[in-house]
Amino acid sequence: MSTTLNITDFLAISPLLILLFGALILILLESFWVGASKKGGTTIAFITFLIALLAAAWAPASHSPLLTNWLQFDPLARFFALLFLAVGIGSVLLSEPFIERFNISCGEFLFLILSATAGLLLISSAADFLTLFIGFETLSIALYVLCGFIKRWLNTREASTKYFLLGALSSGFLLYGIALIYGAVGTTKFADLITGYHAIETASDKFLFLGGAAFVTMGLAFKAAIVPLHTWAPDVYDGSPTPVTAFMAVATKIGAFAAFIRVFMLALPQFSPIWNQSIAILVYPTLIYANFVAMRQIQLRRFFAYSGIAHAGFLLIPLAVGGNDALSALLFYLVIYALATLCCFAVMAFLDKRESGVFIHDLHGLYTRSPMLAIILSIALLTLAGIPPSIGFIAKFYVFKVAFQAGYYGLVIVGLLTTILSAYYYLRIVALMFAKAPSEEEKPIHSLPALSVATFCIAALLLLSIYPQPFLDLIGTVDKFKA
Amino acid sequence: MSNLLLLVFIPFIGACIALIVGATRIPAKYQKSLAFLLSLLPLAHLLIGFGSWNGELLRYPWISSIGIDFSLAMDPLSLFFVLLTAIITPIAISTVSSERQKSPGLYFFLILTLQGILFILFTAKDLALFTIAWESMLLPLYFIINFWGGSQRQSAALQFLIYMIAGSSLFVAGVLGLYFTAPQATFDLDTLATSAAQAPYAMLIFLAFIIAFAVKTPLFPFHAWLPETYVEAPFAGTILLSSLLSKAGIYGFARIGYGLFPGFMVQFSLPLLILAIIGALYAATTAWTQRGIKNVIAYSSLSHVNFILAGIFVTAPIAFQGAILQAFNHGITIGALFLITYWLQIRTGETTLGSFKGAAKYFPALCWFSLFFVLSSIALPATNSFVGELLILFGLFSRNMWLGSILALSVILSAIYMLRWIQKLYFEEPKEASLLNARDLGSKELSIAIPLAALILALGIYPAPWLKEIEPTALRIAEVTEHSEKNLTSDNYKTVLVQLIDILTPKERVQNLLAVNDAPYYDPFSDVIEVLRQQGEFGQEQSNSSQNETQAEERKQEEKRILQTQADRRLQEEHEQQRAADKRLDVEHELQRAAQNRRDVANTLQRDRDLRRIEQEHRLERQREDRRLEERRLQRQRENR
Repeated sequence: MSTTLNITDFLAISPLLILLFGALILILLESFWVGASKKGGTTIAFITFLIALLAAAWAPASHSPLLTNWLQFDPLARFFALLFLAVGIGSVLLSEPFIERFNISCGEFLFLILSATAGLLLISSAADFLTLFIGFETLSIALYVLCGFIKRWLNTREASTKYFLLGALSSGFLLYGIALIYGAVGTTKFADLITGYHAIETASDKFLFLGGAAFVTMGLAFKAAIVPLHTWAPDVYDGSPTPVTAFMAVATKIGAFAAFIRVFMLALPQFSPIWNQSIAILVYPTLIYANFVAMRQIQLRRFFAYSGIAHAGFLLIPLAVGGNDALSALLFYLVIYALATLCCFAVMAFLDKRESGVFIHDLHGLYTRSPMLAIILSIALLTLAGIPPSIGFIAKFYVFKVAFQAGYYGLVIVGLLTTILSAYYYLRIVALMFAKAPSEEEKPIHSLPALSVATFCIAALLLLSIYPQPFLDLIGTVDKFKA
Repeated sequence: MSNLLLLVFIPFIGACIALIVGATRIPAKYQKSLAFLLSLLPLAHLLIGFGSWNGELLRYPWISSIGIDFSLAMDPLSLFFVLLTAIITPIAISTVSSERQKSPGLYFFLILTLQGILFILFTAKDLALFTIAWESMLLPLYFIINFWGGSQRQSAALQFLIYMIAGSSLFVAGVLGLYFTAPQATFDLDTLATSAAQAPYAMLIFLAFIIAFAVKTPLFPFHAWLPETYVEAPFAGTILLSSLLSKAGIYGFARIGYGLFPGFMVQFSLPLLILAIIGALYAATTAWTQRGIKNVIAYSSLSHVNFILAGIFVTAPIAFQGAILQAFNHGITIGALFLITYWLQIRTGETTLGSFKGAAKYFPALCWFSLFFVLSSIALPATNSFVGELLILFGLFSRNMWLGSILALSVILSAIYMLRWIQKLYFEEPKEASLLNARDLGSKELSIAIPLAALILALGIYPAPWLKEIEPTALRIAEVTEHSEKNLTSDNYKTVLVQLIDILTPKERVQNLLAVNDAPYYDPFSDVIEVLRQQGEFGQEQSNSSQNETQAEERKQEEKRILQTQADRRLQEEHEQQRAADKRLDVEHELQRAAQNRRDVANTLQRDRDLRRIEQEHRLERQREDRRLEERRLQRQRENR
């Protein structure tokens, strides 16, 4: 067994290394040469992400046991790496107008975004509970700071404190769950979990394992903001700066579900019907509560918090179902959710002028002020609402199909009913944008980076609506690899 | 590129052109002309090769992961509705006023998109594609009502949307249910036609479909959204809603209802028929009392649509033919009626009946055309509606005379309210001079009205070729429905109830859950022993690992893992052996118990035998005793003597 790493191994983890290197450069620049960081910070972060993206696309798989014990190099990891890096690029571009307007320290901000993304990469390629936990901590600690980044804003301080306290608690849950599982099967390696579980013969060990699984689930459910562990999400989303909210709404949510996939779909596929049943039970309150409360929101960041919770409920359905096709349905829905939400935040970046964020009534008559923004935002909202012919419909359809095949009729029914509710609140915004004359005659800010994000997302959504098959095939190859 | 694909894509391309042109500074007047011409293209395309459309097919794989094909087919039934769509869309566009219009480009974009979606809907051969088109119809209409409607447009649009999405969700649930429970998992309508009715929950799925279509058409009592929506929508929206959207529901009954579940259509025929007849009469009487100019036409549309549905539900081939023809006729006539209402409204600016009188004096041409379309609507002989309604009534009378005569009342009612309407508008003593300045129909308006009137006359005077087109479809349906159960029985209701309960209680999963709790029983002592044994193994290994070199550690870890797996395997083997031993013991026990049993039985037998012997001995002894006593008695007697 070799103890040295050769060039292939370094190439395999190159996206992570590039990200960390870029982050290091940024923080050093910020410390010693503020002017340069202010001028070129965004460019450096953008280029770092771009190189990392290319590296992730071409990276070979490593076979060195020094790495494979901790990280996996399967198609799923590559898929998630590409997704996270793309979202990272989006966040950097979205934060550019924000940094400029509020004149905040660019290098530090982007350093934190880069390290949070590195944490996400660790999560999605984890082969061991410890890697997963380190990934989550890297992500969370960066996010605690990002939430309270603008120290003079009262709301962000509150959000940051809340997020830190509750986040620490959830990390505790996660770690405790890992410890219990270790106690039951004597390993933290994902590859050995299922054999370990089946080798359990005593009732007490089984109880220990299931308890650990429950704690891990709770920890992850907190990160994914699933009712009843969602309470942090509205306040934190509301209080954080808009680009940070965008990053949380998209990347953190995907990260939590990536962890769910790694642990409960790949390492422990269908290990116990009790787990699937309890996840199915979580779906009901998540969908119903979030959709009802979202109807009454007026602040857009808070609105997207509830919308995100509602979509987390949808994402739980394939997780609860497990089995054939569930991974494909989950990944497809995740990507559509990510594109549409990022697109909404890109439009918000144009309107975001105050500490308190964008309110729904700021969108009054947006169509007369800026037809393009209004059309982009409505397509994204229609996709989120799942109204055909948008691709959101196909995504929901796929989820329903998987649930129906497994006999979870209750989930399908509640999903359909809450879709009606969600159509109401998404379309209300769309109607508002087109309906009335503008309340105030102010032009939206002009920002090329944010526009490019919006254009990219919309182009992707439209292309997928017309011909989703190639993308479904791609996801199918990821799904097949699992088996 | 096939003709059908071209037909479906022309409207979408046209829509994009309209949107792009809308973004430029070209005046709204020219934009409207352009959109009008673009919307005429499909009609021209349809008419050029009119004979060759029937049987046109295309199929491309679209989303094969979910099994959805982009598959379209044109048959006579589709052709009727496609043609209607192609005729009505230009009329709807012509009612978009070009002055003071906000974002006309978007308006035309939405109308043309709707046209394309309807073409897909009316030719879809794939149930999922049908569903997507069905749901997509909502959006353009929602926006049209929401942006360009009357003063209450937003609440009307929202109400419309909520009703439609509620119906659509049921539809989606039904489609999914069919896909997963039918014998063949497919969306292909031809395949489903043979297998859908055999699905375990077929009746529930059928009812979900029926309710979705009933909301869209709308069938009484699902019409609550209609009055406000029709009145608040702009005229283009109202024409699209009344001429085309209601036909989508009717098409759904004909294509999906009869196509997939002909048996159920026949079984549920009577209740549906009664609802449709109530709807026709109810809407007719309501129309009589309306005060708004547009409201009367809206309720008249509701009444006529229910009339057509009655024809669909009769399940006689002649009535079906009549219903399909009448669907086409009603689309033309109601579109024309809303069109003239629009022309009158832009000239007078009034929306209520009686706010002006005697318009005939100022607009004679408009008056004549109004009268003509009104007569067509009340089914005067030689107009199109006469043929359709007569066929429907004919079919209904042959089925049930009483229902037929009740439905016929709605024809009389329609004559009353429509003539009242035209009399109030045109034929009373004029009292306002303000109308003097407005001018009568211009050449553009005439060029729309005259072809419509000609079409109405042509259909009324010589309907035979049209009826011949639809005849094979009607006969095929008659053939399929001939052998099915004619009436609903109490069994049907029971089936529906049982299936509902069945769906709402997921038995299998409950059983699974119970099975989990049914965990195998563990002997508590073996448990303790095992734990002790495992600890012993771990303890030994932990004490050994105290060196620092990485290689050694790795090797040791490897060894540890191997040891552990070996230990595990050993444990497992031991367990197996123990289990085998247990089993052996069990067998021995069994044998022993059997032996014991045998012994027991033998013992019992022995005891029985013994007992019997003893008894016999006893008896013998007693007999001997008796005999001895007897002898003694005899002896004593002898002695006494």
